[in-house]
Amino acid sequence: MANINYKTYAMNAITPMKWWKTWIVRVFFFILGAVKPLQKDLVQLSFIHFARWVIIKRTKFPHAAQQQPKEELKYDYLLFFSNFNGTWNQYIDAFSAVLSRGLNAIWRWSEKFPGSVPVTPFKQYIAHGQFDTDYYYTAYPYAATNDVKAAHRVQAAVEAFEKECAGKSPEEFARSYLTFLVAVQCDLGQTGKAPVGT
Amino acid sequence: MSKLDATDIQGFVLRGYGLPFARYMFLEIADAHSGQAFIGRLLDQITTGEHWDAGKPEWALNVAFTHKGLVNLKLPDASLLSFPVEFLQGMKARGEILYDTGENGPEKWDAVWRDGRVDIWLAVNSKTKETLDAGCADLQRLMEETGGARVVDSQDAGAFFIDGHWSTKEHFGYTDGFGNPDFLGVERDTQPGQGKLTADGTWAPLATGELLLGYADEAGELPVAPIPHLLASNGTFMVYRKLHQNVATFRRYLEEKGKLYSGGKEKLASKFIGRWRDGTPVELSPDAPNQEIVQDKRRNVNFTFGNDQDGTRCPIGAHVRRMNPRDAFGFNGRLINRRRITRRGLPYGPYVPEDQPVRDDGEHGIIFMALNASLFRQFEFVQQQWVEYGNDARLGNDKDMLMGNHEGRDRYTIQGTEDPKNPPFVCGGLPNFVELRGGDYFFLPSMTALRMIAAGTVDPR
Amino acid sequence: MANQSGNVYGLTILSPILQDPNAETSHNCALRMKLATLPRDESSPFARVSSTHMARLVVMDDVVYMGMPSCEEHLKSQYLVFETNFDGDLDTYLALMAREIPTEVDGIWQHCWGYPGVQDVGGFISYMKKCQITTTFYFADVNNKTVQQTLKALQTQAAVAEFIEHNQGRTPAELQKSFANFLQMLRNAPPPIPGRPGTGGPPRIETRMKWATRN
Repeated sequence: MANINYKTYAMNAITPMKWWKTWIVRVFFFILGAVKPLQKDLVQLSFIHFARWVIIKRTKFPHAAQQQPKEELKYDYLLFFSNFNGTWNQYIDAFSAVLSRGLNAIWRWSEKFPGSVPVTPFKQYIAHGQFDTDYYYTAYPYAATNDVKAAHRVQAAVEAFEKECAGKSPEEFARSYLTFLVAVQCDLGQTGKAPVGT
Repeated sequence: MSKLDATDIQGFVLRGYGLPFARYMFLEIADAHSGQAFIGRLLDQITTGEHWDAGKPEWALNVAFTHKGLVNLKLPDASLLSFPVEFLQGMKARGEILYDTGENGPEKWDAVWRDGRVDIWLAVNSKTKETLDAGCADLQRLMEETGGARVVDSQDAGAFFIDGHWSTKEHFGYTDGFGNPDFLGVERDTQPGQGKLTADGTWAPLATGELLLGYADEAGELPVAPIPHLLASNGTFMVYRKLHQNVATFRRYLEEKGKLYSGGKEKLASKFIGRWRDGTPVELSPDAPNQEIVQDKRRNVNFTFGNDQDGTRCPIGAHVRRMNPRDAFGFNGRLINRRRITRRGLPYGPYVPEDQPVRDDGEHGIIFMALNASLFRQFEFVQQQWVEYGNDARLGNDKDMLMGNHEGRDRYTIQGTEDPKNPPFVCGGLPNFVELRGGDYFFLPSMTALRMIAAGTVDPR
Repeated sequence: MANQSGNVYGLTILSPILQDPNAETSHNCALRMKLATLPRDESSPFARVSSTHMARLVVMDDVVYMGMPSCEEHLKSQYLVFETNFDGDLDTYLALMAREIPTEVDGIWQHCWGYPGVQDVGGFISYMKKCQITTTFYFADVNNKTVQQTLKALQTQAAVAEFIEHNQGRTPAELQKSFANFLQMLRNAPPPIPGRPGTGGPPRIETRMKWATRN
């Protein structure tokens, strides 16, 4: 399925907004970008590699050639692209459970948004606005974002340990090795294929 | 919310009976008409959730149906098609999702599950073997009288009788039976730690709809349920799995690794599960077992992992931590509340003491049953994401050490400290300690629904 | 800057797709067929544009109608959505595409209005920027490590886990020697290959020492 490349799911969604509501979403995103603690829940959930929201004003669809017909639209559009780990249901369940206020702040300005709680109408809304990916590439298909972050911690620990234990006696080395073990012991999970999407 | 009508709900759903003998009979329905007659005759013997004023009954009877069973009872099509997809498909068809492949695949299952046709689960739980046999003989007579069903297989299970009393141990030597969740409206001996975490650190019961159909669940909506309402209400779904245990392999592995682990063999065993084999929760007592805690209802399930993010007391991948992460994922446990299951079950096969020889290929294991309003969202999720995978716990692809389908390559990391009695330790070369021998998904109707099914009056609206 | 998060750039391009009433297969269908045949693992064209963390190509047929009382409306063209997350700056990336995967870029963007080809790199870059939409909000979980650093780290992580498993219970002297050899092997390991399903790189780094008899 082209939406999924091993551990990562490429979701695309589009929703229409009345043009005079778009600035509200921009302000919200501006605040979210500037006030880092607001992002902490998103960071804690830790199953998105990269995600972006893109507002396209109704007159700003790209026009690349003279003969291309110009778009005549009433609504602005909010595009959402996510690269996330886990199944579609798991992803939306989690967001609805813990980030409902943030989701509402972004999507309540979109036409006929039912609210992010309860979760079933929310899932129906997303499914309606979702369109499928035709081609998806990831440089590290076997790694979820948790795996990537764990790997960076291990890499840093190895580099630090290498420097630190240069020229030590075996006994001193063994003691430092234990400290090194304790430093990396939470980050040794294997990478591999993801469970079947459901 | 309104009080639950316990007499409408099958007793098996609301409580673990704690009766030491069980026989699970699997029936094939002869035809819809006589099948309905058989169920009609069962009705007044079925144990409900009513309060036991005079103490435990001698025996208890409960019944559940596979989707095929409901089809064979000729429920209306509209009702049949309104059941959740996973129940319609049945557990065998969901194998890829559940990692029931390879050593756990259907080719290795008992014949009845591999290619048989199970319509009905009929469970008898009893105080004595005699009552069990007598009860089952009665049921057999009923089947013959009505011509409604016949037994295609039966599975005995029972608690171990050790040192003169009934034990809750299972074959690997662990004391089982802790941690079933509390639900709003379900009368039970509540223990702190069973429910969900609240903002102020206390425990509250879970929404009724996490266990029973027809009630609001933790997401503030009604779980997917078949139509009509009366068919679904007060009913629930059950997964039944026969889990063979490779006792010899487990003992050998524990012995071998126990020699290398400086905390010793029993401590190592405690790190696999997150409880010492006597039941002491490792999170509360990581250095030694403590019967006082085990016997104290206010403590034996009352713990969180918030102060143990690094897993140095209870390893991050330990079984109890995987099955109920509590606050380990942050958000005050909110990501966990829709993923809780209610466990029932008993070991099967004779108990072999630690100092006696035992073989892997003996008939011994555990009959695992879990009750939940949504198989997909609860059991299947936990099995797929938390037992056979580790990303939510930030453990990558690592599987549950005892339950996981390791496929010949997996390791279990026990986090530790620089204290020589609690070192970091990696258990590699993990064999499959547990193997699936079959099972399926069942629907446990309410008494009202059973009467409708027996009378053939299910009307989908 | 909205398109950027740390060292990662989030590029969103919507290229309008040609509509030719005389074509036997419409451009958007041909494009879909083309995208279906592109390899997705280490032989992906984006593995050669090696600063790419993740990239997708999506044929967006139309906007969505939510139902009454909203109004129904339609796009006059379909759009090829190119969403990519990469290290470094935009101009370098687009130039890299033109240089490393000209055939694939032609094969895809030839279906789009105003595509000038990749021969003139400057012209190509201008064309792509013309179709770029500014990202309103960009979230990158890890935004300060390049693709190569990430692949290397994943390789190290897998190797370290294996080393730890197979070197439990060694004497300090054995351990120290074993670890020195391990570091050497890590240093000499060939660079991991982007896009490959695996821990990155050819056959696993061998950390099992010849005299390992335990575990």
